Amino acid sequence: MLPDYDSLAPATWAEALAALAAQPDVVPIAGGTNVVVGMRAGELRGRTLMDINRLPELHGIRVSDGHVVIGGGTTVAELLASPAITEHAYPLHQAAAAFANPLVRNRATIGGNLVDASPAADTYPPLLVLDAEVELVSLHGVRWLPLDQFVLGVNQTERRPEELLRSVRWPLAPERSAGLHHKLALRKGTACSVMSAAVRVDTDQLGRCTAARIALGAVAPRPIRAHEAEQSLVGESLTEVTIRRAAQLAGQACRPIDDVRSSAAYRRRVAEVVVRRLLTAVDLELKEGAQA
Amino acid sequence: MAVYHAVGASAPRTDALGKVTGRTPFPGDLVMEGMLHIKILFAGRPHARIVRIDTSAAQAAPGVVAVLTARDVPVNEYGLIVPDQPVLCGPGSSKSGADVVRWEGDQVALVVADTEEQAAAGRDLISIEWEELPAVFWVNEATQPGAPQLHPGSPGNQLVHWLIRWGEMEAGWAASAVIVEGEYQTPFQEHAYLQPEAGLGYLDESGRVTVQVAGQWTHEDRKQICHALNLPEGQVRVVYPAIGGAFGGREDMSVQIVLALAAWRTGRPVKIVWSREESIIGHPKRHPMTIRTRWGADRDGRLTAVEATTWADAGAYASTTTKVLGNANLMVTGPYRVPNARVDTYGIYTNNPPGGAFRGFGGPQAAFAAESQMNKLAQALGLDPVELRMRNLLEDGDLMPVGTPLPPGVTIRQVTERCALEAGWKHGDDGWSRPDLAGPAPQRARGIGIGCAFKNVGFSFGYPEQSWAKIELIGGRQIERVVLYQAGADVGQGAHTVMMQMAAEAVGVPLERVRLVPSDTATSLNSGTTSASRLSFMSGNAIRGAAERALVAWQGEERPAVGEYLYRAPATTPYDPQTGACEPNFAYGYVAQAAEVEVDLETGQIRLIRVISTNDVGRALNPQQVEGQIEGSVVQAQGYVLLENLVVEGGRVRTPHLSTYLIPTVLDVPDEIRTVVLELADPRGPFGARGMAEMPFLPLAPAVTAAVHDAVGIWFDSFPLTPDRVWRRLQASEHCRPRP
Repeated sequence: MLPDYDSLAPATWAEALAALAAQPDVVPIAGGTNVVVGMRAGELRGRTLMDINRLPELHGIRVSDGHVVIGGGTTVAELLASPAITEHAYPLHQAAAAFANPLVRNRATIGGNLVDASPAADTYPPLLVLDAEVELVSLHGVRWLPLDQFVLGVNQTERRPEELLRSVRWPLAPERSAGLHHKLALRKGTACSVMSAAVRVDTDQLGRCTAARIALGAVAPRPIRAHEAEQSLVGESLTEVTIRRAAQLAGQACRPIDDVRSSAAYRRRVAEVVVRRLLTAVDLELKEGAQA
Repeated sequence: MAVYHAVGASAPRTDALGKVTGRTPFPGDLVMEGMLHIKILFAGRPHARIVRIDTSAAQAAPGVVAVLTARDVPVNEYGLIVPDQPVLCGPGSSKSGADVVRWEGDQVALVVADTEEQAAAGRDLISIEWEELPAVFWVNEATQPGAPQLHPGSPGNQLVHWLIRWGEMEAGWAASAVIVEGEYQTPFQEHAYLQPEAGLGYLDESGRVTVQVAGQWTHEDRKQICHALNLPEGQVRVVYPAIGGAFGGREDMSVQIVLALAAWRTGRPVKIVWSREESIIGHPKRHPMTIRTRWGADRDGRLTAVEATTWADAGAYASTTTKVLGNANLMVTGPYRVPNARVDTYGIYTNNPPGGAFRGFGGPQAAFAAESQMNKLAQALGLDPVELRMRNLLEDGDLMPVGTPLPPGVTIRQVTERCALEAGWKHGDDGWSRPDLAGPAPQRARGIGIGCAFKNVGFSFGYPEQSWAKIELIGGRQIERVVLYQAGADVGQGAHTVMMQMAAEAVGVPLERVRLVPSDTATSLNSGTTSASRLSFMSGNAIRGAAERALVAWQGEERPAVGEYLYRAPATTPYDPQTGACEPNFAYGYVAQAAEVEVDLETGQIRLIRVISTNDVGRALNPQQVEGQIEGSVVQAQGYVLLENLVVEGGRVRTPHLSTYLIPTVLDVPDEIRTVVLELADPRGPFGARGMAEMPFLPLAPAVTAAVHDAVGIWFDSFPLTPDRVWRRLQASEHCRPRP
């Protein structure tokens, strides 16, 4: 059963922003895969839903000015089908492939996943390692925030009630960079993460790490970057020793909880294992790239 | 083997087109003009007395037509074996003790309103004064002196105790070269059928209180409704539309009685649809069991003695616990020659969800203990697990510990041998030896394991098993149409198609000429239940009998020619209270499975790579449907052993959604399920068929734990083998530390 609600269907971007400015408890709804589930559970976040699916400003995947830019209304299925995402954001492609199931992927949007800000949200770790930024727009103007600053806690972000998340962008990766994502869940489809991780390593011509990104999901109140682990790799070559040390630091960065899916101790331990395996695979990919 | 024209072929399902196009109505799809909607107020607490219930605000709420409580139920009790469960809990009812709720799923009040939303709003306005009672959630605590008592007739909360005393235990242990002890714990399991409980109640054109609902036994549903409403059978009608899965979980009453009650009290059509949460909270579960057991064998690997004590959590009400445990009591010694046995099986009331029927019906828990013991004995004796089984498996004429042999046609040996060969075991001069496996990926280990089992077909232990069918032959010179009346429920397994195939076969016409009038107490007598793997066997024999009589009438020039037949299965007998001696069952199916797994040594994740399931089904009446049942059993058992984790804390289900109670998805099924169907006819079965839809569930859990042991050297005596749990054991095991 759905509770009673009012609905708006703005025809233009300006109308949508005006509606939000006038009535801050309006809940924007795109795919509805979080909002409707929450409503059924009696967690109505506002009495009025605003359908934003038809606003062209929220759609499209393009590569320009050295960035990949995608509309906040891009569905996970569209991400999965996009050659640009596969080429320029492979960890995000992997996360999209592990996202829920085909039916949910057809509805769920990247903007919805980010704004909902579940600690286990699948698209956060890959976008964090890609150095993504989100574009927040209101009648008062436009601001860009790094994703790492955008997300605050469980279902909490920097988005103000009058703002819409219009797009997400990230710079194209430099040469000699590789990234991967892995989701550890209790089953292969329609599953919430026990934990997930994404890594990305940029290297110089000698194979030394110039920058590293390690992001983890479902191990803290919000998706996190493992900064110390990242720093430990900078200036180093990827070896069994440096990878193991970085993985340990990543494990130590976790602040997990016990829940019906697993214990906190298990999450911390597998975070280390998964990061180690991802870095090892990234190393292999970089070496193969160097030989090619 | 006999040659048949209609059975033995994979006839397309007669219900396929309607279901895949969405045209077939399931109970939740049914609508009637002017119908009202029901919402149920559940107890939401494990043990409490309702001191006072105030429904005045609910009754005054917009759209509310009626609020029904315990006072409105004429005979406020029901239960398949013991009527120990109030229809609605609350004060002022005809039944003493009905003012107490004993689990969170107890039903307290019905709100009937114009819309579902109004009914829900009304439900939330009911005010109750509760007196919380001390509750008990563990079997070992429930049996202690001073523990809260759930039912006055069951001191110590003991619902049932079955036993077997066979041979001389002292002599058995004395003859043992090896003794293996184990304690096994099996978890709850939720049926998680596709279609949550739903239905429609109304007064039909003859004024009968009619319920359209998804159940497993129309005539038993009617009996339960008649008892609670104190109505004669002629005034109650139960009809089953399409049913979205059952697995035993629809044997108990869920919405049947309340739909009838609300339709009868309001005189208007009423509808109810449970949410998934209500479904998971509101119906019984597979019994959790603790089985402590000791097995001895001589130097040659021949079993000398088996001792087993089983405690099952019966939950708050009896449901089918006594029967489930009768099975567990019988099967806990496995399909083996056991010369000396001492078996005790207890069912204990707690304030947890009731244990009830679920595919396998006590067999899976017992098989987990028995097969794990055999696998451990093999290790202790230095014998291959297949070799050990070959030295002990029952054959025709061998006595079971209940003092009688299995019915003729015992094929467990053939089934196990075939399974071992298919899985790659070698049989040489030195006996059986395990297959070599492909090398695992880094940080992983592979292993293979095997198990076998037997499963009764039909009701056991003295139950007067019978099934009714009627056949009408219509035509002039030749039979143009065959109309089959049979109430056996097609719960999604394809039973109706198979019944029609059997009717076509028995009459000697093509399948296209057969029409079925199914599952309606107004058109059929009692065909019995869809459970105990009995439907093909029992209905088939009834259909054959009816066809034979109809054909005689046809020869006698009757038009239409009608034949009715009540098939009575061979008699069985109950357990002797002192020794357990009995003739437990009239038919069985036999099964063996091998499972290959890969264990991730660092994350504890287990991948089920392949399963070989070898099943003697007697005669595959519809091979495609047989294969479907085998694959379905394997995947459901895979969920049981590896994934499904019903968290119950303080009597409350913490995982009442399919997002937290996880069952396997299509991506999780094993890379390979090889189904091997043997057709070693049961002389008592219709066209040689045995019942088969439960047995492939039984051996998988022990086969998987044996495979895990083969991979990492650790025995898991409880499950589900969730990664967290496996990882903890791997951590503690020197052998499996991740390599540096």
